[in-house]
Amino acid sequence: MFRNVTNVGFTVLAVVGAIVLMEVLLYLFLHKTLKFRKALPIVLIAPAVIGIAVLILYPIVYTFVLSFSNMNLSNLRVSSGLSHSIGQFFTNIANIFTVPILKQQYFFPILLRTMLWTAIQVTFHVSIGFFMAVLLNRPMRLRGLYRALLLFPWAVPQVIAVLAFRGEFNYEYGYINTILGYFDIEKIRWLTDGVWNFIAVNITNIWLGVPFMAIILLGGLQSINPTFYDAAEIDGVSKFQRLTNVTIPLMKPVMVPAIILGVVWTFNNFNVPYLLNQNELETTDILVTALFRAAFLEFRIGFASALALIIFLILLSISLILLKVTKPDIQFQSEKKRLKEGETL
Amino acid sequence: MTIRQFFFSRRGDSPFKRILIHAVLICMCIITVYPVLRIASVSIRPSNRLLSTDMAIIPEDATLNNYVSMLVERDFLQWLSNSLLLTISTSLIGVSIAASSAYAISRWYFPGRKLMIITLLATQMIPGAMLLLPLYIIATRAGLINTWHGTIFAYSVTAVPFSIWILKGYYDTIPRELEQAGLVDGLNRFQVFYRVILPLSAPALAIALLFNFTQIWNDFLLARIFLQSPSMITWPLGLARLQEQFQTQWGLFAAGAMMVSVPVMALFLFSARWLITGLTLGSVKG
Amino acid sequence: MKSKILVFFLFVCILPVFAGGASEDQNSIVLWTNEGESEQALDWLNTLAARFEEQTGFALEIVSKDTEALREDYISASIAGAPPDFLWTVNDHAGPFKTAGLLDVVNDMYDADVFVDTVTFNGDAYAVPISAGNHLMLLYNKNLISSAPNDVNEFIDAAESITGDGVYGLVYNQIEPFWLVPWLGGFGGQVFAEDGVTPTLNTSAMVDTLAFLSDLKTVYGIVPEESDYGTADTLFKEGKAGFIVNGDWSLSDYVSVFGDDLGIAPLPMINKTGEYPAPYTSGKYFMVTAGLAEEKRELIKEFIAYALSAEVQEEMVSAFKRLPARKSVLDSPLVADDPILASSGKQMSYGTPMPSVIEMRAVWDAIKPEMNAVLFSGKSPNDAARAMQETAEAGIQNLQ
Repeated sequence: MFRNVTNVGFTVLAVVGAIVLMEVLLYLFLHKTLKFRKALPIVLIAPAVIGIAVLILYPIVYTFVLSFSNMNLSNLRVSSGLSHSIGQFFTNIANIFTVPILKQQYFFPILLRTMLWTAIQVTFHVSIGFFMAVLLNRPMRLRGLYRALLLFPWAVPQVIAVLAFRGEFNYEYGYINTILGYFDIEKIRWLTDGVWNFIAVNITNIWLGVPFMAIILLGGLQSINPTFYDAAEIDGVSKFQRLTNVTIPLMKPVMVPAIILGVVWTFNNFNVPYLLNQNELETTDILVTALFRAAFLEFRIGFASALALIIFLILLSISLILLKVTKPDIQFQSEKKRLKEGETL
Repeated sequence: MTIRQFFFSRRGDSPFKRILIHAVLICMCIITVYPVLRIASVSIRPSNRLLSTDMAIIPEDATLNNYVSMLVERDFLQWLSNSLLLTISTSLIGVSIAASSAYAISRWYFPGRKLMIITLLATQMIPGAMLLLPLYIIATRAGLINTWHGTIFAYSVTAVPFSIWILKGYYDTIPRELEQAGLVDGLNRFQVFYRVILPLSAPALAIALLFNFTQIWNDFLLARIFLQSPSMITWPLGLARLQEQFQTQWGLFAAGAMMVSVPVMALFLFSARWLITGLTLGSVKG
Repeated sequence: MKSKILVFFLFVCILPVFAGGASEDQNSIVLWTNEGESEQALDWLNTLAARFEEQTGFALEIVSKDTEALREDYISASIAGAPPDFLWTVNDHAGPFKTAGLLDVVNDMYDADVFVDTVTFNGDAYAVPISAGNHLMLLYNKNLISSAPNDVNEFIDAAESITGDGVYGLVYNQIEPFWLVPWLGGFGGQVFAEDGVTPTLNTSAMVDTLAFLSDLKTVYGIVPEESDYGTADTLFKEGKAGFIVNGDWSLSDYVSVFGDDLGIAPLPMINKTGEYPAPYTSGKYFMVTAGLAEEKRELIKEFIAYALSAEVQEEMVSAFKRLPARKSVLDSPLVADDPILASSGKQMSYGTPMPSVIEMRAVWDAIKPEMNAVLFSGKSPNDAARAMQETAEAGIQNLQ
């Protein structure tokens, strides 16, 4: 164990040293040799750019390349028939829409379900999170305790929380079914009935996702200057108007990025729908879980890569539309002006 | 504290409303905490029973054997110490990288800036599972598999895109005048960054750190690629060993789960104050 | 000029950071295993490796991965060009790995005559058996059930007599088709036709099997409305079930709970056919990566010989109650005199080896939803059997 401590310690020092060294040398090179005026910002973003390029962008490009291939279990390597071609790319894309992605389900029903899932999740996360944030924002006793308890799920590792919920939805032993049993109401088949399973997955993810949203919204609420409310009070507006005219517009810069990231993360949430659905009900699968099954249970890798690309494009367009519609303007409009000032500084 | 004080303080809400609010909050707390307590309950149940018809949290035959077994008989402490070492060091590196990059993006215009901002968001859009194969290939070709430096490199980068987003928004709201004052005092641009901007951004840095920490702490995807040697594995890989094709050691698994939640909880409670004021200034003041 | 020197210096400084560590892999032999901490078999495997190192001076690096991760990562690592040298895993993996061309033929690595049957394709062995079994059997709680039933009628009577008041006659994993296969065999059915790859699911045997499983619930009412692995396991351990159908991997766990009150028997004979149910048998196997250097292959052969020696096999039998692959140990008093192992061995003798072909997964995926539909939403066995066959054929089509 102590060997690891020293090993990791030295490696960390070496990595940090390498980063710093690289930055210094890059700066000297750009600034002294090339006389480049913006040497400092380039140097500052260099480590992030290199890291993201290697660890995130390169794999994405690689996935793109794989979508031009016929890679599957019998054509895993060039020696055994792996080939890349533009024709194969179109075949892969065409297969997404014409061949079942799962055993029986086609692309569009799964896409619709994914959209429904994302819409349900984001709506509940934002509305419950907002409600929770408003309650926690009130000055009252025990606020610290409530806050700690309510934000608790965020600290529990997701995989473990999902396993706990799988137990809660058990037919015989689950929490809700046990209560239903006391009242002699027919128990619910959370894990074997398609519709109920989808509901169960949704409940689990709401439980998991609300705290994070609540933290962010609470931050937004706390920053609102009370004088805005005083002004509103003088104008004699109703509580509801105060919410729609004062609170929500002021929180937009916090909410919009949170919602966009929430949409992206929910759309691509793998753990919750996959782990909760151990019975592999196709009616609970969303696009990413279907993708995983195609890629790693059946090893249709060329096909799955093309599907990943489609998912990427869908998300990109959703995000761009959201950005257009919501216009998180407070930040974005002033940006040009701000940067100009920065240049002259 | 008398009941009277409890119900009639500061704001002029009626006692009824107060009770209602507390009642709602208490209900929410129960819903939130109960599932976690059930995991705790599995961990103190003997003979490896995952489920129980009993709704009580503490079973009659409660025992701490699972905890003892995890700590003494298994390599749990080794996994935990590996996780702690990697998580603490790489989340600090990750936050540093993000902090400097976000500053550059917030304060300068340079070619490719806009592309970079969109790319940061776009990196979150590709399904993570699909990256497994390409990452394996890169890691193998670069000789990074089963090495500490490979793991540290990978972990340092994972949460950088999100951190840059958060931090850039925060920096945007810090007034120029503070920087100008610093420059007048004879600091150079870089000194301004770490003497003026960074201290002011402590709250946002705390959020970024917390996010990095939880992300890396719970990571399974990168760990299974980069960490193969038994002496190097982290707790997510270790706990996975308790699950086999049909049989899982649920009691041990739950005990492990409870123990690995402790560092995150501790960090969470420790930084809660910063966290909550943190996102504030960040985005709204500007 | 100065800057060029600096850039050069930078590379010199960074290189060692990214170069260390990988070099030592050349000489060591890497084994991936799906053994974990559940039965602590991983610890035992580590001691084997340590002893082997003592004897020969060659170190083995053992990496434990869960069954799913091992399958995914072995394929990924092979594409990346750095697979482990050999595997210790379940036989289901042989099909996909062989199809992908990743496995070596192991005819020369062991003496097939002294071991139980292994995974073969076109007459060539692609795996060396370590243990045999992994089969389902009938376990019962002697506090509730006095003796093992001989046929299904006796079995149902015994189960009915104790059902009620929160106690069930029988529990089993109703979700997984692995639990359906034994009964299918008992009703005279087979998952695959003679050629080993054509699914034969739309048969009267399958219809009988589905009807039988459905009757256990609706007609006799001896099984819970719904039970997955965890539910069945918990009910049995809590003393709320008389019988459970479970595999040999669960034996050590149940022995620790029930001690001598645990009864073990073969699954009861089907009266209609006079046949005993035939569970799938498999076990753990060594598989060797194709294209290894000759010296490495020799060392692996040596390790396999050591791990499968009679002495080590006996050790495995005593420690984990697993049936050994070496016939001489399987027939030895060590197995025959142990009541648990003897009953387990008897059940295994009725079993059929689980096919390793990749078509197997398509078949599992086809049976699972239909089996669930029959048990949980009352779909008719006839329709279900027909649907299974169609889905399985479509799934196999997808593999091409």
